[in-house]
Amino acid sequence: MKIEDILKELSTREGITPVSMDWNAPEEVHLEVRPEDFKKTCLFAHQKTGAPVSALFAEDAVAAQNRFFIRCVFASRLESKWLIVSAGLPCDAPEFDSLANDIFSAALFEREIGEMFGIKRREAFDSRRLRLHPEVWPEGFYPLRKDFKPPEKYGDTGKNYAFRRVEGDGVFEVPVGPVHAGIIAPGHFRFSAAGEPVVNLEIQLGFTHKGVEKLFEGKTAEAALAFSELVDGEAAFAHSLAFADAVEKIRGIKVPEAHQCARAILLEIERLYNHAADVGGMATDVGFSFPAACASVIKENLLALNEKLTGSRYLKNFNRIGGVLKFPPSVWETIDSGLEAAEKDFLALKEMLYGSVSFMDRVEETGILPHKTAVELGVSGPAARASGVAADLRADFSPLYKSAGFKPAKQEKGDVLARLNVRVSEFKESVRLIKKLTGMIKTGSDVKISAGEPRSGCALGYAEGWRGPVLYWVRIGQNALVERCKITDPSFNNWEGLAQAVPGNIIPDFPLCNKSFNLSYPGNDL
Amino acid sequence: MEHGPAIIQILLIIAAAPLFGGLITKIKNIVRLRRGAPVLQPYWNFFKLLGKSDEVISQHASWLFKAAPYVVISSSAAALLLVPLFGGFAAAGGMGDIVAVLFILALGRFFMALAGMDAASAFGGMGSSREMFISSLAETAALVSFFALALNSGSTSFAAIAGDGVFRASSFTAGFALFLVAIAETSRIPVDNQETHLELTMVHEAMALEYSGRSLAIIEYASHIRQLVWFSLIAGIIFPLPPPSGCGAALAAASAAVFALKLLALAVIMAFTEISLAKMRLFRVADLLMFAFVAALASAVLAAGGY
Repeated sequence: MKIEDILKELSTREGITPVSMDWNAPEEVHLEVRPEDFKKTCLFAHQKTGAPVSALFAEDAVAAQNRFFIRCVFASRLESKWLIVSAGLPCDAPEFDSLANDIFSAALFEREIGEMFGIKRREAFDSRRLRLHPEVWPEGFYPLRKDFKPPEKYGDTGKNYAFRRVEGDGVFEVPVGPVHAGIIAPGHFRFSAAGEPVVNLEIQLGFTHKGVEKLFEGKTAEAALAFSELVDGEAAFAHSLAFADAVEKIRGIKVPEAHQCARAILLEIERLYNHAADVGGMATDVGFSFPAACASVIKENLLALNEKLTGSRYLKNFNRIGGVLKFPPSVWETIDSGLEAAEKDFLALKEMLYGSVSFMDRVEETGILPHKTAVELGVSGPAARASGVAADLRADFSPLYKSAGFKPAKQEKGDVLARLNVRVSEFKESVRLIKKLTGMIKTGSDVKISAGEPRSGCALGYAEGWRGPVLYWVRIGQNALVERCKITDPSFNNWEGLAQAVPGNIIPDFPLCNKSFNLSYPGNDL
Repeated sequence: MEHGPAIIQILLIIAAAPLFGGLITKIKNIVRLRRGAPVLQPYWNFFKLLGKSDEVISQHASWLFKAAPYVVISSSAAALLLVPLFGGFAAAGGMGDIVAVLFILALGRFFMALAGMDAASAFGGMGSSREMFISSLAETAALVSFFALALNSGSTSFAAIAGDGVFRASSFTAGFALFLVAIAETSRIPVDNQETHLELTMVHEAMALEYSGRSLAIIEYASHIRQLVWFSLIAGIIFPLPPPSGCGAALAAASAAVFALKLLALAVIMAFTEISLAKMRLFRVADLLMFAFVAALASAVLAAGGY
């Protein structure tokens, strides 16, 4: 259903009169309702757009308006528009009706709002904290409030995180982590197993919570742009792109087409090196070391290509507000030869894997994430596309990608093989796109970019990174500094997807399932 | 001093045991375009661990946990005494036969599995349970292959088997079955993966996960010896060469060189097997070992038919 119609029906059918409604940008509509209508409005928007909650967050506007705002973002893929439903809550006792009982994809966001802002949810089914572990973080300290003062004493609170428990004959718990044997970020995995088969898996994250969103506050847009590249190093360009997009919308800048192309090329190269690494990672986790070695060669060559193009192996410090820096001379030949090598090597890698009976036996039917579960959890990115959810911001929201004839990958089965297939076909598609985009950009003239004038306001920026959609909701204050920055990394909801895909598999298959999702710790812990 | 050469032989081979594992790793790394660790790395690891004074032992562990490494290494070394190496006869002479080797090794495994569960960590328990599952299948296949070999030579004694010197189809098939068993017994791909850091997928390593310092050094060394027991056995079976007649330093050196060549050939085969396969799903290991059992059975039939 179209957003205009949704808004109309909201007042005629549901009897909800919005407090205000305005088109913040041509593709982004803000709808403010009274707090008591918030849940009903969100449910209505959820049903009519058919979309999960893309983001749900709070904003501290106590100083200016004596209120907290909660905002819920839905994507209308049908007409490439964003619908943001907001409500202002009184600052003395902020609470709202929990959405999570009806829209599960809101559950984790609500827990985050609870611990970061001290905003209560009525009738929430899960009132536990998310990242601020009760073992170490005392009650009553809400970091994202503007008047937050850090607690004087951390640790030894005497409380424990309440894991879901499975009891019964022969059921035992296997706690894994947070410190792992490999060089990876920390996360705690609590398996309940009956023999080898896993009955339940609960994942506790947040061990590297750094307060990233708080650290954004008070930065100039330019400083914050550089900072956004540090949020998740493997997806540096996607994060920087999403942040820049938000600021550009606030400032009303139109990015020249040549620069949009250049950005798309870099975004796709980021996808290439990460997908190659993921495919190799799956081989590593089943002990298939020769293809894994081949994959690391592909990744290394692409990182070297990154360095030649942008001066940074991880595509950092090249994106600017309004566009990108200038490519070095003879860039197109470099890209062409780099891509050709990567494509050839990747094809060989693919044939090695798909031709190996022992490898295929491991990935088929392992770690199935059913379509329905993926939809309800709001899983996004390649993991969702492997379970039959064809959502992809590039196809749904980008005219540039549409004109390049982009087709999102899609698989139905939802097992490890499906996630591998999605990566393989996205790799191929990205190579095709880059070739097409370099063709488009070559004919264009050299355009100067403009970073525009600092302006206050808010906007939603987005980019489809290699793990899925990266969303940045940014508010810039009157002093031209960032007032609030809400980051939504695809890993945030996808971790729960992993937790649901594992039960029914045997314990030694967990690492493979995990690698097939390959989710981000920093993007989740923030 | 009649046992002198045999004892020297045993000491030499125990000292050289880690070399075999280091060699396989090196070959794998060369194929994977990596420089990798030096061939001698297992020795450096051993001495590093041996030199550690701060061994961490779980509060929940009993005496068994502390005793197990010594039982494990003794059983490996004792099994080695019964296997003929390059000097023709086994060091312990006619004291034990081919079946005894299997059960002596099983003693070490039994204690290792107990030790894995002793500290009550979830990983140790999983490792022990998996090891027992795998070995119960592997032992059957090994035993049947041994009987096939015994049928050939008319005796279960190693001296008779290895002293045969005739190439037989049944020996080769039995050797193949034993190679599959050895993959499982030495925790190599596709059954187990020595290189992995993923605790959840480990079999043998999971049992040893609670160990550190000197105990870990001993357990790792025991694994090296056990590995050599298996591969010496197989080398003797699939490359049967007549034992040297007479004695003398030159002859001993020559037969040692032949023995080393046999092992090198096996190391290359093992390394390429590991490189070209993905690790099996845990419950598929039963299929592989069932295949080994069928191969063993086939060799017994061949042996009974005189081939």
